[in-house]
Amino acid sequence: MEGGEMIEARRISKFFSIVNKEGIAEGLTACLSVTLSIEKGKIITLLGPSGCGKSTFLEILAGLQAPSEGEVFIDGVRVLEPLPSTRAEMDAYRKRYRFLSPLANDLFRDRPKHDIAMIFQDYAVFPWMTVLQNVTFTLKLRGLRRAEREKQALFYLNKVGLGASLHKYPSQLSGGMRQRLAFARALSVEPKAILMDEPFAAVDLLTRERLQDDLLKLLDSSGITIVIVTHDVAEAAYLSDEIIIFSPSPGTIRNRFTIDVPRPRRRDHPELADIQERISRLLKYDIDNESEYSI
Amino acid sequence: MQVEQQYGSKGFGRLTRGAGLFLRNSFGSLFSREFIKVLIPLLLLWEVIPRFDILPRTLAPTLSDVALAFRDMVINKGLLLHILYSLGKFLAGLLIAVFTAIPIGIFMGWNLPIRKHTLPLFQILAPIPPPAWVPLTIIIFGIGLPMQIYLIFLGAFYPILFNTYQAIKDTDPRYLSSARVFGASELTLICNIYFWNALGAIIMSVKTGVAIALVMLVIAEMYGGRSGIGYLLVEAKDFFQIPAMVVCMLVLGMIGWFSIEILKFAELKLALWKVGR
Repeated sequence: MEGGEMIEARRISKFFSIVNKEGIAEGLTACLSVTLSIEKGKIITLLGPSGCGKSTFLEILAGLQAPSEGEVFIDGVRVLEPLPSTRAEMDAYRKRYRFLSPLANDLFRDRPKHDIAMIFQDYAVFPWMTVLQNVTFTLKLRGLRRAEREKQALFYLNKVGLGASLHKYPSQLSGGMRQRLAFARALSVEPKAILMDEPFAAVDLLTRERLQDDLLKLLDSSGITIVIVTHDVAEAAYLSDEIIIFSPSPGTIRNRFTIDVPRPRRRDHPELADIQERISRLLKYDIDNESEYSI
Repeated sequence: MQVEQQYGSKGFGRLTRGAGLFLRNSFGSLFSREFIKVLIPLLLLWEVIPRFDILPRTLAPTLSDVALAFRDMVINKGLLLHILYSLGKFLAGLLIAVFTAIPIGIFMGWNLPIRKHTLPLFQILAPIPPPAWVPLTIIIFGIGLPMQIYLIFLGAFYPILFNTYQAIKDTDPRYLSSARVFGASELTLICNIYFWNALGAIIMSVKTGVAIALVMLVIAEMYGGRSGIGYLLVEAKDFFQIPAMVVCMLVLGMIGWFSIEILKFAELKLALWKVGR
C-alpha cells in the first residue's frame, strides 16, 4: 500500500463462446474474477497446467485482449476502457470502434500505450530483420533518434552477448541466441514491466538454466517488474518472488506462494525444493480431480 | 563476399557478373550435361523425321525451316520489334495489376470492415474466366492498346489480389502483438510487419499472375491488334506459314520462362532472410 503497485488487475473475467463438435455454441470461461496486484520490481510467476487461462490473462494485462469484465491498471493508467454496460453506451462504443478495434494502436503515430514490453514463447523476433534492426526497430517506435537508437541497441546487444552477430538474421541464430535477442529487444526500450509468455519453453534444459541466470543478471537492480507465465515448477521456484497458481476451467487464482530465499539463489536450496514439492502435489491433485470429472 | 574482395569489383563489373549469375542459374539447366543428352537427339529427330517424310513436311516443319523462318521474320517483319511491343504491353498490364492488387489485398487482409465491404464483390467477379471478358472489352475500349492492356491486367489481377489478401490475413499474430505492445501504429504494422511477412506469398502470387497474363496477352493480340507476337501468330495462320507459327510459339514460351526466372531471382534477393545460412 506504499504506492508501489506496478500492475493491478481488478476482478478480471474473460468469456469466450466457442462452437463444439455438435455445432452447438457454448460458453468458455478463460479467467474468472482474477484480482492481482504486483509490486514494483518484483518477479511474479503465473503457474498452471496448459489451457488454464494464464496466457489469456497475460494478454489482457498487456492490452492485447479486452477483458469481458474488470479493469487493468499499469502504473496507475488504465489499459483498456471498460466495455459498455448500457444500451446507449454500447451503441456509442460500436460506432466509435466500427472501423478499428479498441485494441489497435493509432493509425499513423507510433506511440506505446504503456511502458511495457512483452516476450513470447517462440521469441517473435522478426525474421526479416537482422539482429540489429530488430532492436533499432523497437527503439524507433519509442521515438528515439537514429544515432541514439544505434547506440542503445549496441549497448543492450553487447550486454546479452550478441555483439558479434549484429548483421545476422534470426534464422542464422540458435534458439538460445534468439531468446537473448528477444531479451535485448525488450530491455532496450527500458520498460517499467516485462511480460513473458513461457519464455524458456522452446529451448533445451541446459540453455534454459543459463538463460534464467542471464535474465536475473540482466535484471539485477534495474527495478523492472516481471510477470512470467510458465508451467515449469522448478523455473517458477528459482526465478520468482511470488508464485501464483492458476487452476483450470475456469481460470482462477488457486494459491499463492511467497518465496523469501535471498538472491543469488542456489538451485538446490532446500526451501525451493520444499516449495516445488508442495506445488507439484497441488497441481497433481488438480489434474487427478479433473480426470475424475471427465470420466 | 570473398569473391568481391578478391577482385575489388564495383559498379559495372558487379552488374555484369550478377547478370551472368542470373543467366546461369536460370537457363543453365538447358545446357546442363544431363539435358544436353536429351536435347541434341530431340533436335536431330525434329530435323530428320519431316525430312524423311515420316511426317508430312508441310505440316511439321524441320528445325532448319524454323530457324530460317526466324531469320526471315527478324529481317523482314521486325520480329524483335514485335517482341518488344508484346513485352511492353505485358509489363504494363502486369505492373498495373501488381500496383493495384497488392495494396487492395493488403487493406483487405488488414482490416475486417474493409474486407467485409469488398470481398464479396471480388468473389463474384474473380471466377469469370478472363477470356470471357474479351467481347465486352472490345465493345467498351475498341480494338487497340487499352483493350489489350486491360485484358492482361485482368488476367494477373485476381490471383495476386486473393493470394496477397490471404497471406496478410494469416500473418502470425505473435509478430503483430509484439510490435503492438512496443507501440507500432497501424501504418508501421502494415509497412514493417504484414508486408514482409507476406512477401514470399505475394511473389508466388505474381508468378501465377504472370502465367495467366501471358495467356491473356496472346488472346488480346489475336483478337485485336496490329503488333505483337499474338498478331504475328494469327497472320502466320492466315498465310499458312507453319514455321512462322512455331517461331511465335517458341518466343512466347521464352517470354514466360524468362519472366518467371526474373521473379525467382527477385524472391531470392528480397527474401534473403529466409535462406538459413
